[in-house]
Amino acid sequence: MEHIVAAFGLVLDPYVLLVIVLSALFGIFVGAIPGLTATMATALLVPVTFFMPPVPALAAIVTATAMAIFAGDIPGALLRIPGTPASAAYTDESFAMTKKGQAELNLGVNLVFSAAGGFVGTIVLITAAPLLAEIAINFSSFEYFWLACLGLTCAVFIATDAPLKGIVSLLIGLMIAAIGIDVTAGHPRFTFGSIELMAGVSFIPAMIGMFAVSEVLRGVVAGDPHARMVQERIGNVFKGLGAVAVRYWKNFIRGSAIGVFIGALPGAGADIAAWISYAVSKRFSKEPEKFGTGHIEGVVDATSANNSGLSAAWIPALVFGIPGDSITAIVIGVLYMKGMNPGPTVFLQNPQLIYAVFIAFFIANLIMVPLGWGAIKLAKYILNVPRRVLMPIILMFCIVGSFAITNSPYGVIVMLIMGVLGWLMEENGFPIAPTILGLVLGELLEQNFMTSMIKSDGVLIAFFYRPIAATLGVVTLVVWALMLWRGVQFAMRPVRAAA
Amino acid sequence: MRINDAVIGALLIAFAAVMIHHTGTFPSFPGQKYGPALFPTLIGLGFIGTGGILIWRGVRERAGTPWIEFAPWTREAHRLGGFVLVLASIIAYILAAESIGFLAACFVILFVLMTWLGEVAWRAGLIAVAMTLLIDWFFGDLMRVPLPRGLLNLLSA
Repeated sequence: MEHIVAAFGLVLDPYVLLVIVLSALFGIFVGAIPGLTATMATALLVPVTFFMPPVPALAAIVTATAMAIFAGDIPGALLRIPGTPASAAYTDESFAMTKKGQAELNLGVNLVFSAAGGFVGTIVLITAAPLLAEIAINFSSFEYFWLACLGLTCAVFIATDAPLKGIVSLLIGLMIAAIGIDVTAGHPRFTFGSIELMAGVSFIPAMIGMFAVSEVLRGVVAGDPHARMVQERIGNVFKGLGAVAVRYWKNFIRGSAIGVFIGALPGAGADIAAWISYAVSKRFSKEPEKFGTGHIEGVVDATSANNSGLSAAWIPALVFGIPGDSITAIVIGVLYMKGMNPGPTVFLQNPQLIYAVFIAFFIANLIMVPLGWGAIKLAKYILNVPRRVLMPIILMFCIVGSFAITNSPYGVIVMLIMGVLGWLMEENGFPIAPTILGLVLGELLEQNFMTSMIKSDGVLIAFFYRPIAATLGVVTLVVWALMLWRGVQFAMRPVRAAA
Repeated sequence: MRINDAVIGALLIAFAAVMIHHTGTFPSFPGQKYGPALFPTLIGLGFIGTGGILIWRGVRERAGTPWIEFAPWTREAHRLGGFVLVLASIIAYILAAESIGFLAACFVILFVLMTWLGEVAWRAGLIAVAMTLLIDWFFGDLMRVPLPRGLLNLLSA
């Protein structure tokens, strides 16, 4: 109990509250601008949080991402361009509602059910994380090895539609993670005499490069979108919400539950949660024919799911140090920087910090309603900020943010290389999230793999001796076998169908 | 820039071969069979496996398309210029920020990029000045990042 009181004391500090409000405004802005994602918001925020104590740093990320995921719905409804990928699943539906004159109802549902979904995700996070941590406290290197494998497997096979390219992307991340002093023997690998590379490739500049610089490169080429707002004045967004809540409360619960489940799966985040819950909603709807014509039902499911998934992604991140999505992959990097090494022990050593994160989630979802309402009212102005001004400013923030981490041009060089790599990868259909997951998990995976190999003296069957390790190992191998089988089937199809 | 899967696969295999060869220089644990070379070797083998499949798929699905295909925007000088300018800005910052200082570098990058992308010069100038001062205040003063002073050093000297 005293930890919870201490956590409230940490969060309700005026400085932390100010950080939360500013991050919320930042998150809303980034989320509402098409092309700028919640992950990019995190990437741009991390250099700033680098200089903060752990609680405001984590509260800033929690708030900015929650806001960004909601704010992505605004341009979806008004311009038919999703603000973030998490809104893409129901952008057409939302825009169809706007064309029918129901923009207010759509945005109101998006706002209130996003906040409510966020609450559900947070409650599950608060309940499940400490329970799982108690189990995880007994884990050895074998369990962690399989858990990391399972997490990376999910990232490749669930989160991407091109598993083979997902594997390559993951290997690139693991390869980059192998640069620097090796975790077991202390030998410098692939450093080529560089002192700075001895500590490994600096994570934050790498992530800024992959998520932000690559986006700027795409942004300057694309130019300003030509979409026009079909409705500029937005009326009362809260009108009619009661009726929607009464009619579709089951959809809200189902969407939130799917969001929690998908979010908690390592590697799959809010965008996949939204796609799956929208599809499930249509599949079990009594009026599936109305989907796509401006029907609110699927929006209730999906908008609840992406925000609940965002919170739930923190479960594997905090308990096992395995990121639930690319945002929590960045969070894990931040946790390490702040000396809060994620894993079950953080619940014993720093419980007040964990509770403070939980409280930050509640505050974020609470203030989402008034701030989101303000953002909807000001949408006309936010959506009119031209890309020709925004992209150079973002680029400058990327440069200074990367410089700030290393206090030398080394950070900017890493950012540049990773930015070009990220751009090239996306141009050729290679997802970049697995690279970041590989970069974050590489050390954990190698350390646990090497420790297990040394403990078992190279006897691979020892990886299955302990019951939980065996279960995780078998599940991982079954998923690999299934994917291999699907891959072989895919390869055997005629060229025209395969392409 | 769309590169055929087969070319990417071949590049991955070549990269993996060099990488695995390089791991041969890593020492092994005294008394252990596994050392720092094991993990990178496994990654390298992963690259070779996936690279092989990419080659097979790329050749099979090529159907007369070029090995490397440039996107339509690369033929528009203005868009290509914007792309090159972003990269050039970063490189220029790496090379010149220390000598000319953060303030000058930031202003020039912002102004040049904004005007190239279509902003009118006076507004681009105003925004560039305001943003340069804001970023300098935020990172330099508030966050205490030692942003390069460059020309300011001459003035204070």
